Amino acid sequence: MAPRLSKGSGVLVIGGGIAGIQAALDLAASRVKVYLVEKAPSLGGRMAQLDKTFPTMDCAI
Amino acid sequence: MMDAGRHPLIDVLTNSELVHLEGEAHNFTATIRRHPRYVSEDLCTGCGQCADDCPVVVPNEFEVGMGARKAIYSPFAQAVPNSYIIDRENCLNDDFLVCNNCYKSCDRDAINYDDRGEDIQVRVGSVIAATGFDVYNATAIPSYGYGRFDNVLTNMELERVLNATGPTRGHIVRPSDHKVPKKIAFIQCVGSRGEGGEAGCQYCSRYCCMNAVKDCLLVKQHEPDIEELLIYYIDMRAAGKGFEEFYQRSLGQPELKYVRGRPSKILEDPDSKDLIVYVEDGETGQLSRTRVDMAVLSTGAQASCSNPKLAEVLGLDLDENGFFKVESRWGSPLHTEREGIYLCGCAAGINDVSDSVAQASGAAAEAEKFVVKHRVEEKEEEKKELDVSGPPRVGVFLCHCGINIAGVLDIDALEKYARTIPDVAYVENNLFLCSDEGQRLIQDKVLENKLNRVVVAACTPRTHEPVFQENIEEIGLNPYLFEMVNVRDQCSWVHTNVADVATEKARDLILMGVARARHLQPLYRQSIPIQTSVLVVGGGVAGMSAALLLEAQGFKVYLIDKAGRLGGRLNNLTRVYPANLLAVELARTMVDKVHDSRIEAMASTEITSIGGFIGNFDVATTNGNFKVGSIIVATGADIHVPDGAFGFGRYENVMTNQQLEDILVAARGKIAIEGKRPKNIVFVQCVGSRDPENNPACSRYCCPTTIKQAIRLRENNVNVIVLHRDMRTVGAKSEEHYRHARSLGVKFIRYTPERLPQIIGSGNRAKGVELVELALKRTLEIDADYIVLAAGMVPDKASTSHLQEILKLPLGADGFFSERHAKLGPVETTTGGVFVVGCASGPKDIADSIAQGAAAAAKVASIVSRDRVALDPTTCIVEESLCRACGQCVEICQYHAPSLVEAVSGLMVAKINQALCMGCGTCASWCPTGAVTALHFTDDQINSMMDALLAQEA
Repeated sequence: MAPRLSKGSGVLVIGGGIAGIQAALDLAASRVKVYLVEKAPSLGGRMAQLDKTFPTMDCAI
Repeated sequence: MMDAGRHPLIDVLTNSELVHLEGEAHNFTATIRRHPRYVSEDLCTGCGQCADDCPVVVPNEFEVGMGARKAIYSPFAQAVPNSYIIDRENCLNDDFLVCNNCYKSCDRDAINYDDRGEDIQVRVGSVIAATGFDVYNATAIPSYGYGRFDNVLTNMELERVLNATGPTRGHIVRPSDHKVPKKIAFIQCVGSRGEGGEAGCQYCSRYCCMNAVKDCLLVKQHEPDIEELLIYYIDMRAAGKGFEEFYQRSLGQPELKYVRGRPSKILEDPDSKDLIVYVEDGETGQLSRTRVDMAVLSTGAQASCSNPKLAEVLGLDLDENGFFKVESRWGSPLHTEREGIYLCGCAAGINDVSDSVAQASGAAAEAEKFVVKHRVEEKEEEKKELDVSGPPRVGVFLCHCGINIAGVLDIDALEKYARTIPDVAYVENNLFLCSDEGQRLIQDKVLENKLNRVVVAACTPRTHEPVFQENIEEIGLNPYLFEMVNVRDQCSWVHTNVADVATEKARDLILMGVARARHLQPLYRQSIPIQTSVLVVGGGVAGMSAALLLEAQGFKVYLIDKAGRLGGRLNNLTRVYPANLLAVELARTMVDKVHDSRIEAMASTEITSIGGFIGNFDVATTNGNFKVGSIIVATGADIHVPDGAFGFGRYENVMTNQQLEDILVAARGKIAIEGKRPKNIVFVQCVGSRDPENNPACSRYCCPTTIKQAIRLRENNVNVIVLHRDMRTVGAKSEEHYRHARSLGVKFIRYTPERLPQIIGSGNRAKGVELVELALKRTLEIDADYIVLAAGMVPDKASTSHLQEILKLPLGADGFFSERHAKLGPVETTTGGVFVVGCASGPKDIADSIAQGAAAAAKVASIVSRDRVALDPTTCIVEESLCRACGQCVEICQYHAPSLVEAVSGLMVAKINQALCMGCGTCASWCPTGAVTALHFTDDQINSMMDALLAQEA
């Protein structure tokens, strides 16, 4: 397939775990285009595997 | 996660990797290889029919091999994207006999065996590497029997066992016989702190201590009959905000026993499959054998195995542990050697969730500098709203939350019941309503059934209400026509053992939810114009870091400090680790940068008042007044003055670590105190910290500081002994320094709070320390020329109470400013437009403070990069005709939102400033004439809930 070349300039974020997602959301909140690249089939990283987080015991997802 | 998946400005490319990067900062061209998924993300709805029909069963990676999945699968229920994927390694279609089951079962033709993937090129101004960590492979320590003994698990496996959606549906059973274990041993530092053989790492993995404490509490919650939970540890490293307090709480659990010691081996009883843990108690020196039903290994975290390949593509170097090398010149943990490429999370070392989140926001602010000219214009979309004018048609959606809810409540009964409530037009249940599939279900059903109110009975609105509100807003239903009923926290979690009563309570809550939903009215967010300038209060590293990044993005920044010069605490330090920089040099670099920039820096300046609200703050200072859109509080902290403790104040040779630091700063070359080279120095740790009565928190900075000072003294041939409770060297390179200090001959002796070291002295000088040595049970007398007290960090009371008052910022029990969310909102506060960074919200080291400063810059940029801000419409309003201008609302409101103004009629009336109002409703309940209405919580709405409940009882 022919490569696509995007217009404009954004930020590339490598890793779709909690850190990558947070960085992407902050950039997007400031109206910056983001490409969020994750090698696994889903976002979420390690955090999605956890049951709860302490000390607030919120659901990790 | 969901938010990232649905944000219009975020392209989520999963199953993909960066394969090439060329160009430089401002102008990189990245080639991203999307590996074939064999299922079209656009077509797949995640219905799961294909997986049902797939004949291949393989172990599930997400369940760390404990559960099973098919060859075509979705990684987990809430996956983003929710599209399925074919694992071609296991798919039968590559075999001689073609199966094609999934192809046949998919009615949307989403399956494409010929998917070859593609290379996508994108132009970017900057790059953020947020690679995560891998878990240490516990089979590398054969003596613990992981992989050989059924009942030895890793902590990651236990996380899945504890999870309601996990392989055992949240029931804790041991793998060998599926019985509930009575005794569980947790073994810490497996693969960390040099305890993992060649495959292990030298550093502390940081997360595992608190993870073990949390898991013990969760195990106890799941299985109240558990008899014993043993944690075998070397040092308990509860070094983070709220961590020590959490650990202290766990000490009150009778089942939970902490044993200091590192098991030498675990053996298995071949008949019962019980495990025998061999350990020498580090405190008593006693050898013991303990029989347990199950053992959990707290496996360390290691650099991601993808780092080497990525480092090559990015043109970066890795350190000896396989993490990305940090360019430390700026003291920041975010920079790489290449301009325009930044690090966060576990890319450069292990961090816990809140530090990862702060670093991520910080990296975003750094990356943003290169793309400020490319901010995307937002188009005011004229969204068509659904017509909701008719009688209420309420949709009730019940969430299972895996088995969190459905494992206790009778969902079928609730569903049947909900159908009988008047005005309920539709009822449906779903495994996870927060998943992509669940969200779409709600949207589809609202449209199909012309619903005009939505009630979701699920988890907590605190985290999930916005998710559902945004979801219905997408299809044109006003987000305020939504009601959330918390049947998890308030029913299934708290009444786990009485399922029928829990279900009955859920029924009542749903009934009340529907009653309120009937009365809900659409509300609309107003937007107001804002100032795009920013005030940073405090010119230490955190404040300067924030100010510099905002200035680099082109915003007007005022940076004020009450001290005579910028630099804060940095001005009084020797070296800064892990960067190993001279503190004065780092201070000079940052201060010079501030002075060379357009930042308006004002020393010796204090705030006199702040009025206004997000986007429009009026700031008055001793050095002039100005208007800003956002405020960052970076006022730092104080060091505890240990008056009276350990002879401080009584003996002239007892000093704090900061006083020693001052001596070390002044020392050029050889160290002399009172004109002489000291021979013996004793450090006492945890002075004014970890003290339940006065300051229960761990101050976090003192252990690494002591190590730094001890090394410097030892290099000058001073004998150094450190008396400590746990050495908490958790930060980057900190454990390595601890190890180095020991190799130089610094001695570490443990004490307990029950047996504090006693200072012996005569006249006005201390002679030494007396201490009960725990292992040998004998009293030691240690000579000392000087005694250094590692004094804890305490809130700067003057600044804190002043700003708390004028900015309405809540303080925690520890006296530091509270963040919005300990994990997910580490620099945000509950006051819109106001952020807190660095030690003002709790003890931090230089690198973490700099990262937090950067994080706040990103948060502020998301406000001031627009010229308007939207206000929350759930505020209070005044019905002028009912108002008698008594002024009671003006008196009672702590946000100063109401004021008395002259109405068109010429009469005085109360008017509530919508930007200042937090919607708390205090004035509405106080108003004697009922003139004030709290929107979204009107009397009608609240009373209807009561009426529904009481009518049923009657």
